[in-house]
Amino acid sequence: MMPLPREERTQQVARDDSRPNGLGEDVVSAARSNRRDGSAGLVAKNRSENDPKYAIELKDISKYFGSLAALHPTKLAVNRGEFLTLLGPSGSGKSTLLNLIAGGSGPSTGSIFLDGRDITRMPPRERGIGMVFQNYALMPHMTVFENVAYPLRARHFDRSAIRAKVTEALDRVGLRGLEDRKPRQLSGGQQQRVGIARCIVYAPAIIMMDEPLGALDKNLREQMQGEIKRLHKDLGTTFIYVTHDQEEALNMSDRICLMSLGAIAQLGTPDDLYFRPRSRFVAEFIGESNIITGRVEGNGRMLVSGNETFLVPHEKRSTGSELTVMVRPERVRICGSAESVTTGENVLDGEVVGTAFVGGTTRVAIQCANGLHMTAKMMSDRLATRPAAGDQVRVCWSSIDTVTLDS
Amino acid sequence: MNMTSSIRATAIFMSPAALIAIFIVMPPLLYVVYTSVNGLAFSLDLYADVVASKLFRQTLITTFVISGISCFVSLVLGFVVALHLASQPARRRAILLGLVLLPLWTSILVKCFAFMVLLGREGVINSILSWAFDAHIQLPMILNRIGTLIGMINWQVPLVVLPILASLLAIDEAVYRAASIMGAKPARIFWTVTVRLSLPGVLAGLLSIFVMSLGSFMVPALLGGPKDLMLSNLVDYYSRQVLDWPRASTISVILFAISVSFAAPLALWRRSRRI
Repeated sequence: MMPLPREERTQQVARDDSRPNGLGEDVVSAARSNRRDGSAGLVAKNRSENDPKYAIELKDISKYFGSLAALHPTKLAVNRGEFLTLLGPSGSGKSTLLNLIAGGSGPSTGSIFLDGRDITRMPPRERGIGMVFQNYALMPHMTVFENVAYPLRARHFDRSAIRAKVTEALDRVGLRGLEDRKPRQLSGGQQQRVGIARCIVYAPAIIMMDEPLGALDKNLREQMQGEIKRLHKDLGTTFIYVTHDQEEALNMSDRICLMSLGAIAQLGTPDDLYFRPRSRFVAEFIGESNIITGRVEGNGRMLVSGNETFLVPHEKRSTGSELTVMVRPERVRICGSAESVTTGENVLDGEVVGTAFVGGTTRVAIQCANGLHMTAKMMSDRLATRPAAGDQVRVCWSSIDTVTLDS
Repeated sequence: MNMTSSIRATAIFMSPAALIAIFIVMPPLLYVVYTSVNGLAFSLDLYADVVASKLFRQTLITTFVISGISCFVSLVLGFVVALHLASQPARRRAILLGLVLLPLWTSILVKCFAFMVLLGREGVINSILSWAFDAHIQLPMILNRIGTLIGMINWQVPLVVLPILASLLAIDEAVYRAASIMGAKPARIFWTVTVRLSLPGVLAGLLSIFVMSLGSFMVPALLGGPKDLMLSNLVDYYSRQVLDWPRASTISVILFAISVSFAAPLALWRRSRRI
């Protein structure tokens, strides 16, 4: 529920009351339509004010602590219904950004628009944002039901509407029947489901999740990823998700905003970030990468150490200027010395210096003749047929798998 | 964990306390009980007599009234202090907490005399008021109920601050953030989070100062008037003025029983929380 003006809110409650028998399906559908009405009403209301295209728009927002920049002036627009992930190492500014949107602290410069409304100076309670916390942040003295009902009670919903909405929210996260438990009687996964139910129960315009699965073990984390994704699809709400786990980000997001040192390093789809990283930081943070530096030679070639030339995508840069390119290890093939190589492929001789068998894939480190260190990743074979340390091999990769980086 | 070894370890750690209790605390206590029932006669006549006496009843009521009022005021004041301390950065909090505890480390006798100097008829406060209003002001602030309450509250507040502060500091800061993001106004957050989650500390603090205040002797004796006699003062009266030791013993045993009846639930409750 948005922080609608008071009259509007009471009207909605009244509408809920007027439903003939406040039971079962009726109530659930009432709660649903109520939410739809709520957000639809808001969209209509704001169309006239400002650009309504974005659920959240940050205009040159920044946060400084003294002279230390936690977040440099940043522009970011989140589309309606989008699943945007803020990804980055700790201290990259992703939590600062989330906090600014939630209203935990005010920005040093810039403004924040939520559905076209300027919420820069608005206290958190009036923003109508939902938040799921890493350590759940449940009320330890309240039951599951009371926890989920909390935001509704704060909005003065009446008793029957609260029961219907809480029941629906608990249904969605699969916690029906645990209404009377206290948080400490639940497992970590269940507690986070309560956190999610508490967040979706008042149908906020934006749902923000701050490393919600950070405290859970791997299997549960993967299962919850799927559930959160499905929830996003069902609700159609804008999600802003914070994580430092790149696989989680790649798996869940419509777009990823990769942050570094208080600024956006790259904003794009998971595909963009993986296959077309713009900078060395992005290439190295997401997935594994072979970074090759050299000089442009023109004609789609670059000169690297050992006087080797590699085929690279055509490059606008002038001949002789520095060039950094990247190849993903899974795009690097290890081929026998007899194997013929197709045109457009780069080939290097080298020696295997180490292998890492990690289940489905095997990572092979190769010291190449020209001093370059390459990593190749391949589907695992049995030990007998896997490359072993000391093997003389040839590595090859295609120029179309080579990505030019900014720096 | 091996049950027998844990019991043995507990026994070792507890033995000094147990030895002190058995050989130093218990004998006089048992002797007091022995005296109160007229030795081996096991007569409860004296108890009936004491309970029926008007002086005892009046004193019992006074004891509860003074303890109740002072504990309530101490709780309110202590809660405010604890709230403030909880909101301070750790370093500053340590310094402020030291200031809160300072009176606790001072002898109650010294504090009572200090209050006499401050609150007396010609004391510091009355002198300042007289000077400020250019009149001879003699507000009666000691040797009456007010003086007793001030003296009581003075030692109770630090004791009630500690458990409340512990409860407040145990509240996850994210819970406050969550509550405000979910739309709760400050008053609602204060009531549903701060107050509710500090309740264990409030209860622990309240019960312990209440039990301790039931046995107050020094404060009502030095800062109170004749109408502020509490049970301990009555014991003192019978044992030193009238030299009626059996009666003094009887009242002591009754006071002890009342204290235990309030302290026992607290101890049991603490134990149940720990498990």
